Amino acid sequence: MIEVFLMLFGEAVMVFGALGILRFPDVYTRLHAASKCDTGGAMGIILALILIMDAPAVVRAKFLVLAFLIAMINPMVSHAIARGAYKYGVKPKVVVDMYAWDNP
Amino acid sequence: MSRVPFYLKERLENLKGRVLHEQFEASDLPAWERVVLTWAVLMAFWVVISASFGPGNLVTGAAVTLVIAAFMRDLLTADIRRTGHIVEKLLYFAFIYLPQYIVIMAFRLLESNLRVAKNVILMDINPGIIKIKTDLHSDTGIAILANSITLTPGTLTLDVNKKLGETYLYVHWIEVETLNREKAGEKIKGDIEEWLKKVFW
Repeated sequence: MIEVFLMLFGEAVMVFGALGILRFPDVYTRLHAASKCDTGGAMGIILALILIMDAPAVVRAKFLVLAFLIAMINPMVSHAIARGAYKYGVKPKVVVDMYAWDNP
Repeated sequence: MSRVPFYLKERLENLKGRVLHEQFEASDLPAWERVVLTWAVLMAFWVVISASFGPGNLVTGAAVTLVIAAFMRDLLTADIRRTGHIVEKLLYFAFIYLPQYIVIMAFRLLESNLRVAKNVILMDINPGIIKIKTDLHSDTGIAILANSITLTPGTLTLDVNKKLGETYLYVHWIEVETLNREKAGEKIKGDIEEWLKKVFW
């Protein structure tokens, strides 16, 4: 029963992440939707797969390694994209920009 | 009159930085403990990935990971804060600190997903880039703190700046609530920094 809820939660979060990428105004806010919703949705689906799958425990532990790698790599990639976009010259639509104060 | 307090302050900062460096050097783990820790982590990874317990498999894995651990011993363990004996530290880490971190991050990830869904539906965003200060000094600690900040609700790390022995993070905040550095840091970092200061330098 709980694996159905986890699967539905993961897919709903993925749908909201895709909607966020379409609706938000600029690169940085879109990255919010991409990084958080991808991590949460993928981890929900992976936990559901661990519970559904009919396999020995060592094979299920591989999915935990996969979840750990997703949780490590996804924020790092979004950080790299945000910094690269800022250095390339994409102006953020913000009310206060302390990064531009320190790097004129 | 006006120059003396500045001079004294600069001198004091210099001295504080040197004391911090000495403490950092003295709190390094011995070489064999670093090798054993790295070896255990690599061996666990090998067993999980290969997923078989035959004797040939285990002996091959142990030999290869021992050679790798002897060369790469500083990669994982250079920034661990040393308090007490190594076994006590490992037990604390495995049974208290790691479950604590997993529970904190799981609930904050859930909250951030719900909040992104709310923002997508209502579009009530008010973004800004805020600078906050951290008390961590090591590279591993700052990296894990930045990743955790990216996964907590409404924030995204842009860049890290180390200046004069202090570390500053630039954070893109989707709904700016305060511009004060201390209040913003308290609200963004939460209790993750307290957790990280117990384990990493």
